[in-house]
Amino acid sequence: MTGRRIAGGSVPYLLVLPVVLVLAAILGYPIYYLVKLSLQKYGLLELVQHHGEYIGLDNFRTVLHDPVFWHVLLRTVVFTAVNVGLTMVLGTLGALLLVRVSTWVRLLLTTGLVLVWAMPPVVAVQVWSWMTNSENGVLNYILTDVLHVGNYFQHNWYETTFSQYSMVTSLVVWGAIPFVTITVYAALSQVPHELVEAAQIDGARAWRIFKDVTLTVLMPVPMLLTSLSIIWDFGVFTQPYLLIGPGQQTTSNYLMSTYLYFEGFGKSDFGIGAAISILMLAIVAALSVVYVRRMLRVGEEA
Amino acid sequence: MRYRVLAVVAAAITLSAVVATTAPSSKAAGHTLTVWLQVDAQNGWPELVAAANNAFENSHNGWKVNIQYQQWNDHLQKFDATIAGNDTPDVIEMGNTDMTAYMAAGEFANLGPYKSSFDNSAKWLGGLKASSTFDGKLYGVPYYAGSRVITYRTDLFKKAGFAKPPKSMAQFQRELVKVGKMQSHVKGFAPMYVGGEDWFTALGWVFDYGGSIAHKSHGKWVGTLASKKSLAGLRRFKAFFRATQPRSSARLDGTNPFPYTVFSQGRTAANYGPAWYTCCTGKKYAKVVGQFVMPSHTKGKPIPGFLGGSDLAVPIQSNSQAQARAWIADFTSTANEKALQKKGNIPNATSLLGNSVNERAAARSWFVPQAKHWINVQTGNILKTFLAQFLTGNLSVKKAAQVADANIAQTLNEP
Amino acid sequence: MSGRRARGRLGWNALGIVIFVVLVFPVFWMLSTSLKDNDQISSFTPTWFPRHPTLQHFEDAIHRQYFWTDVGNSAIVVLATVAIALVLSFLAAIALAKYGFSGRKLFIVLVIGIQMLPQAGLIIPLYIVLAGRHQVNTLTGVILVYLTFALPFCVWTLRGFVLGIPKELEEAAMVDGSTRLGAFVRILLPLVAPGLVATAVFAFITSWNEFIFANTLLHSGNKQTITVWLSFLYGGNRFVDWGQIMAASTLIAIPVVIFFLLVQRRISFGLTTGAVKG
Repeated sequence: MTGRRIAGGSVPYLLVLPVVLVLAAILGYPIYYLVKLSLQKYGLLELVQHHGEYIGLDNFRTVLHDPVFWHVLLRTVVFTAVNVGLTMVLGTLGALLLVRVSTWVRLLLTTGLVLVWAMPPVVAVQVWSWMTNSENGVLNYILTDVLHVGNYFQHNWYETTFSQYSMVTSLVVWGAIPFVTITVYAALSQVPHELVEAAQIDGARAWRIFKDVTLTVLMPVPMLLTSLSIIWDFGVFTQPYLLIGPGQQTTSNYLMSTYLYFEGFGKSDFGIGAAISILMLAIVAALSVVYVRRMLRVGEEA
Repeated sequence: MRYRVLAVVAAAITLSAVVATTAPSSKAAGHTLTVWLQVDAQNGWPELVAAANNAFENSHNGWKVNIQYQQWNDHLQKFDATIAGNDTPDVIEMGNTDMTAYMAAGEFANLGPYKSSFDNSAKWLGGLKASSTFDGKLYGVPYYAGSRVITYRTDLFKKAGFAKPPKSMAQFQRELVKVGKMQSHVKGFAPMYVGGEDWFTALGWVFDYGGSIAHKSHGKWVGTLASKKSLAGLRRFKAFFRATQPRSSARLDGTNPFPYTVFSQGRTAANYGPAWYTCCTGKKYAKVVGQFVMPSHTKGKPIPGFLGGSDLAVPIQSNSQAQARAWIADFTSTANEKALQKKGNIPNATSLLGNSVNERAAARSWFVPQAKHWINVQTGNILKTFLAQFLTGNLSVKKAAQVADANIAQTLNEP
Repeated sequence: MSGRRARGRLGWNALGIVIFVVLVFPVFWMLSTSLKDNDQISSFTPTWFPRHPTLQHFEDAIHRQYFWTDVGNSAIVVLATVAIALVLSFLAAIALAKYGFSGRKLFIVLVIGIQMLPQAGLIIPLYIVLAGRHQVNTLTGVILVYLTFALPFCVWTLRGFVLGIPKELEEAAMVDGSTRLGAFVRILLPLVAPGLVATAVFAFITSWNEFIFANTLLHSGNKQTITVWLSFLYGGNRFVDWGQIMAASTLIAIPVVIFFLLVQRRISFGLTTGAVKG
């Protein structure tokens, strides 16, 4: 649909004003304060005195020179890639499955997806925690006594960082799939049948049809979902914090969000915390800029 | 044209909403004292809190007490936010390991001049008093304490032929091994169950052998876990652990699952932990649960137990410090302390001490270094990682201790 | 239906059912645990179904202090956030979609950029702002914060919807002689409705489930939201009652499930149309 940009005088400004007011009123000072904090030495002593000491970019230097920061960044990037990848692939496959099943199975699956989507993250974490605990968790029971894939008796899934993040990934992806599946499915139903049928008559194989017809029409949808997923998964906090546990967070298993929380605020070093926040913002922006630019262009051309 | 009207109307509504919500709300009539207590009080002795509130409100006309319960894993972050926003409570319960950092930052009011207004203040428990003191000044009032005891299955020990509590660690270890053999038919049974990473337990061995965690030398903190005596204690701990506990608990910190849960499933005969474990050892074994003081490697003595506890402090930002002190005095009155004791806690003064297992275990205790940044060692889980490393065999005891010492020194010496 | 297609369908259906079971298993486990008695919960070997189903945990959860109060608090916060977000973001979306004005690009960057802010870093600065206006420990403070984080996504989604409305329809209505606003209400609102629903759903979920800011801003038991209430069941307690946690979790998830089932069909249309339009 072509956009028709009207020059409406003061109208657009008035329409946008309420949102701008709310955002400015609530976030204006905090963002300014965050930047200010990042340039100060600000620990408990300064907090109590409400007065910090300007040290320029020293906080940033400290963080960027700390090897822990780079390890955490790498871990977060890998984590994000894996989660976004799994979410998009499994979510899309799920949508394709929805197309092919009978109506009653579709209803069943959709209901299931809604149930999963509706679970609050704090609730889902508790369920995961309960299912995966080493003593009498049902996961170990299923693996050992039901599926007989090995001896997982009293296996501690939180022993290594890799294992911990497998658990976190399964939780995050599980919770993220419904959004992707339902959205992609709805988009699929908008793909013009004539195009698909025409390609089928031409003798094209399923994969080619998918690539050339379906995916092309769909393109904005995966774009949007992927960019959102990147932003959300990079900064995810609740699941890694609660599932691995506040008492088990160390430099060898931080993600950027928990690193920020513990190194900054857990240790009452607010200047460092602010610096890490700003770095995180810059990194997320950089990671998603490709997708966001594409989305913007699609929108503006419309 | 209509858009314009719509837009102006919406803008007006929003503006007024924003202004309305940002206008300072009128203060409620009368005064409120805001108190932060931990959920232990909410779950364990809410009636004592109510009693203190009543006493306070009766003697302070027009005042109400607003108790806001906090949880251990985030109460300090929330406290920091209130300090930033000039919105602190008037009284706050702090864990005894939490105090130092905040005292060093000047966050608490000096209670020294008012010491005599608190019951039994001349006889306060040494450990708790030390945690409330900084630079010679008093910044907190001891609230209650707890040590660590062995909670055990009296029937299993009796069946194995041990009628009386062991007198030494070696004897205890032998008894545990025998009980383990006796119960080996029970799937997943381990004679004792404590999380390997539970440093409150493990470090008792260090202090039992005369070692320590860290000390200050020439103004700088030095980690001492790799000292000869500390290593002796750690090696003894490792041997004890390997002989009596399942391998899988090396990487657990005792919060998931709780040792008492394992106890209630009949898969262990002993836990080493706070005395209140008896709350949750399961209906099935309610009649065969007993407690005794964990013995030292030296015959006849108790092993030093971690003296946990809480203090009550008054943030300097409070505008109601006199009332805050009055409430604290009501809450730590002799009557209230005795009631706390009946609930299984250790009261805050030596003059009140009784003869419960918990209190006897406190006769020999250890505490963390009084360092400004000690809390960061805890938050950074340095000790947990350290214990896991040598219990799982990833590193030798000595190497793991050296790594831990380096980490501790780095954290404690931060400016 | 030909034999081959029928068999193909069967295969897909079977796969669909397996996936359903795996997908929904955690939800089933939560429900099952909430109905088991404590001995069965702490038993060493997990069992699938409650042997003697009991509603005791649900009763315990409901009778626990502040349960209904905090549910009410969550409801107030969520309804206010959704209502205000809908109105405000809709207006802004119209401006973005239909008008050209200088500062448009900047506004778009702002909207996208805010979604990238790390929330953990904003806890203290936001607390300072709200404390300065006496909005700490109040529901309005929480509503303001939730609005701030919901608006960007809502504005972006609704912009896509408004973009997707054919101008021909609007013009056709105006030819009728109706005013612009009249045309809008009669013809366009039904078309934008799916977008409004999608936006409402998003604002609803994020507000109902939010934890970090509610936990920091709300101190009194009677002011907290239900997610904070839940955290007291497992956070640092001496005895962790898994049955009660699962029962409480089930109760907390119910309003969201109901809301979803009601608006579900609209959501799928909504999100896609908006997304396709970019």
